[in-house]
Amino acid sequence: MHDATYQGRLHYLQKQLMADYYAELTASAEGNGAPAAYLLIGGNPVELLRAFDMLPVYPEVNALQLAVKKNSLGHIQSAEDMGYSTDNCAYVKADIGMYFAGRKTPFATIPEPSLLLCNYVGCNVYLHWFDHLAEYTKKPAFHLDVPFIRTASGRPTREDIDYVMRQLHQLIATCEEITGKRLDEDKLRRAIELSSETGKLWSEIKHLTKHRPAPYDAYFDSVTMMAPLYCLRGTEGGLEFFREARDEYARRAAAGQGPLPREDVRYVIEGPPPWPYLRVFRDMFARWNAVAVASTYSTVGGLWEFGFAHDPDHPLESIAEHLLSWNLTNRNFLQRYDQIERYLDEWNAEALVIHSVKSCRLFSAGQGDMREYFTKRNIPTLLVESDLEDPRYFSEAQMRTRIDAFFESLAHRKLTASASASGDKA
Amino acid sequence: MKFAAGVDVGSTQTKCVIVDRDGQIVARSLIETGAYVTRAAERAFDEALASSGMSRDDVGCVVGTGYGRFRVTFGDLQITEISCHAKGACSLFPGTRTVIDIGGQDAKGIKVLDGEVLDFVMNDKCAAGTGRFLATAAEALSMSLGDIGELSLQARNPVRLSTVCTVFVESDIMSYLAQGKKLPDILGGIHSAIAARTIALVRRVGLEPEITFTGGVSLNVGMVHALEERLGVPLNVCADSHYMGAIGAAVFAMEHGLARAQEA
Amino acid sequence: MAIQSTVSFEELIEECNDAIATIDFADAQAWKNEGHTQALIGCFPVYTPVELFHAAGALPVGLTGAGNKIEISHADSRFQSFICSIIKSTLELAMIGNLDAFDGFVFHSICDPARNLASVFARTMNTKQVEYIHFPQRIPSYEAVVYLEAEYRRILAWACTLTGRSVTDEDLRRSIALYDAVRSAIGLLYDVRRNEPHKLSTLELYALVRYGHVAPPEKHLRILEHALEYVRARGGTPKDRARVVVVGSFCEQPPMDLIASIEQAGCYVVDDDFLLGRRFFTGGIADTGNPLYDLADAYVHGSVDSSVKHDLGHSKALSLVQRARDHRADAVVVLTAKFCEPALFDYVLYRKALQEAHMPHVFLEFEEKMWLFDKIKTELETFVESLLFS
Repeated sequence: MHDATYQGRLHYLQKQLMADYYAELTASAEGNGAPAAYLLIGGNPVELLRAFDMLPVYPEVNALQLAVKKNSLGHIQSAEDMGYSTDNCAYVKADIGMYFAGRKTPFATIPEPSLLLCNYVGCNVYLHWFDHLAEYTKKPAFHLDVPFIRTASGRPTREDIDYVMRQLHQLIATCEEITGKRLDEDKLRRAIELSSETGKLWSEIKHLTKHRPAPYDAYFDSVTMMAPLYCLRGTEGGLEFFREARDEYARRAAAGQGPLPREDVRYVIEGPPPWPYLRVFRDMFARWNAVAVASTYSTVGGLWEFGFAHDPDHPLESIAEHLLSWNLTNRNFLQRYDQIERYLDEWNAEALVIHSVKSCRLFSAGQGDMREYFTKRNIPTLLVESDLEDPRYFSEAQMRTRIDAFFESLAHRKLTASASASGDKA
Repeated sequence: MKFAAGVDVGSTQTKCVIVDRDGQIVARSLIETGAYVTRAAERAFDEALASSGMSRDDVGCVVGTGYGRFRVTFGDLQITEISCHAKGACSLFPGTRTVIDIGGQDAKGIKVLDGEVLDFVMNDKCAAGTGRFLATAAEALSMSLGDIGELSLQARNPVRLSTVCTVFVESDIMSYLAQGKKLPDILGGIHSAIAARTIALVRRVGLEPEITFTGGVSLNVGMVHALEERLGVPLNVCADSHYMGAIGAAVFAMEHGLARAQEA
Repeated sequence: MAIQSTVSFEELIEECNDAIATIDFADAQAWKNEGHTQALIGCFPVYTPVELFHAAGALPVGLTGAGNKIEISHADSRFQSFICSIIKSTLELAMIGNLDAFDGFVFHSICDPARNLASVFARTMNTKQVEYIHFPQRIPSYEAVVYLEAEYRRILAWACTLTGRSVTDEDLRRSIALYDAVRSAIGLLYDVRRNEPHKLSTLELYALVRYGHVAPPEKHLRILEHALEYVRARGGTPKDRARVVVVGSFCEQPPMDLIASIEQAGCYVVDDDFLLGRRFFTGGIADTGNPLYDLADAYVHGSVDSSVKHDLGHSKALSLVQRARDHRADAVVVLTAKFCEPALFDYVLYRKALQEAHMPHVFLEFEEKMWLFDKIKTELETFVESLLFS
């Protein structure tokens, strides 16, 4: 059995960067830093906040960090004591529990928001979440309403773009009011430039897993890169990290090195990971020398690998485009099927694993249909259930059995196929 | 190699089956798993051996299956119970295309061809439609699990359950008892509700005949009847149904052992 | 089909009940077959701008799942056990062919499962005639109205392709006026509930309102107007019962027996949010000369509270407290569909506000497919006892 630590140089670099970021959060919380703006991951317009020197705070990132650090359950339960249901998204519950526990976490003290920016990008829970935060914090809140992709063209309408553009101008006015500063156009342009470069590198990195073996795991290692992608995009440090990541993985790809000693199965994975059991979950795949070559989850914040990059000559327009079109959450469910199909084809994967999480219905509602769709197309598809935040929904033995059975049957089928193929030759 | 064994370590029971080269069962055992999983696996193996006067050396290969499969420390290989149920079902009923398995915690549907798993689905996190649901119902009625199936066959006007949620089944039963509904009709309703739920689940992998029904709940005649009625086709069921995982594991063990011998 | 004055109130209610009890949409089909309408458009909750479809010559039909009249055996392979029932039962209706007579379907940005259902529905039914309305959430704002007007124009164009008609502003104005009249009649019936609850049971009122889900608005209006005449003429005096406001059932509908059992437990339901989309506006729709703009403006600036609408400047929880007081309610019954995230989220803020205002409340969960209500009835009765004895 594979017993790697999975931790490469890049993971340590990420830890360092994120520690610095969290130190900034703590400083802000203690009154010695930049004003904090809460926002959400889906299509995050972080560049605009950077232009105002506001510190981006993602409640989703904090919630998942709590889960990784095995710190989520207590907060979830105290939120449930307040009246939240077991059926409400556990990200929200962990975040609100943590808020009322003094915003202290093992990784940072989370600052009070100066602005609650709800970039409503598909996820309806986002709206409820920030409504509640607005109620509890009594801080200025801004709903940035992004029309969902719903037309046959798969593109926003002219009016959708106008609507978002008008709101971005209002958002600028709100930020000016909060920070007492006028928008610095050069600063915004610079943030967009950095973001654009970062996005291009991230896209390059994403395409590297087309190599056989893939130089890194596009699920378990991608999530390591996602935090810098959101928290540090639009900064020099963020860009530098992605240069390093690109170089490192390009080198590994050229050298034929993968994340595991062997690559027996290349699969695509859909859905967010079970953060409280990330390591255990990874081991279940590693045991079968199975490597994720693409993941939908790594595109919630932006879908750069299909050709998007911010345009420094049109900063606001490209922020609007990012929010509207170029992220997974604002795209409809059937567009996700197309995305997965592209991954299966272009990244040469042979199977699909759907990790269905109860908390996030945006991801999960209807995944039975997705399973049916891909099974009919002769793609071996496994659907397993747990949660992204609530450890009570993870049943290790059950999960292991299902994953083992899936790869067992996959291995058996390959064996039969190769036996009959060699039989044909004989 | 003459004999091979399969040990199925479940959460409540551990079973061992020994087969010969023709796949015929020559010995079996069933014990409570208890707290010491490895010891239970060994005890089940030893009991099976003792029942047929064999020693460990007579058995060329052992496969462990079930939730405790990694604790079968003396096993040569671990294979999930999903693959083993499929293997066992096809070994006893070679025409099997679909396996319906209902155990204490799980309900599953497996699509098979020649003993190979093509696709499978399992119940999701909730225990609706599993043996656990029947156990809760039996408990609410202070009846034994063995009796409820038998009695359900006498249902004339089966009641309709408002939910197959294990949490709510008790209050539904109480409501019907309070309304003066007959016991067989309540039981008929319960079995029919689980059958509906199971079929909806297994439909996801297709419901091609022949259909083999395995797992502990397959010993319940009421459940067999309810499923057959809804499916409109007879099910393959055998008295050894609850040994199916162990049988499949033993057949795998025989195949594996023979292949290994050939390579050597 | 005009209602004869010889028809009694009971017969009127029976006609409504018969029409809403079926899940085969036979009446709507007949309406289309007889040539009264060019297309049937199924509208998922919560609110749909039905005026657009009516003006285009289509009959908008409310899709509210299948209650407890169906066994879900196909749709739960598509949606998991933690998804609410109306999503699955609506898809089930499609999968077993009960929606075959429909020409188009419209879903809205109310929650994530409904959002994904629009996609799964289109794929399963193998139809492109599934539309999705993104309702604005930047409320209140002028931008939202401008955006929504354009969205309505897009949806109207789609409806016209289904009916093969073109629509004038005058057509739109007529449809808006008609539905405004329906809403106003419903509002008057609710006034009766509020002021003289002994004259009209909640179940009767529910049947009258829900009838509009399956009947043409012209017919619905006549029924409502007749009902008003009857109800106003009814006598009697109010009984000593707890007055309650029911909230949380704005999308998936509780079984009618459950609605009845709220009153059987000793309550008068003086306000509720059942079938909220049928009485979505606080006043009539203005006529400024641009009907699409007017309809959009009414959504953004003149609509009632809803768990699927977010206005940061306005506390739904405080306004619930105010509503309960305005209705002289003794308590609030929060009745939410199992797994309904919008309702469950709002409940947390309701709970806080109700407690702070010392307004008693009880929280109950239901599923449309419920068949037995003993447990929920016991909870309700206990709650009412606690109100009356306190």
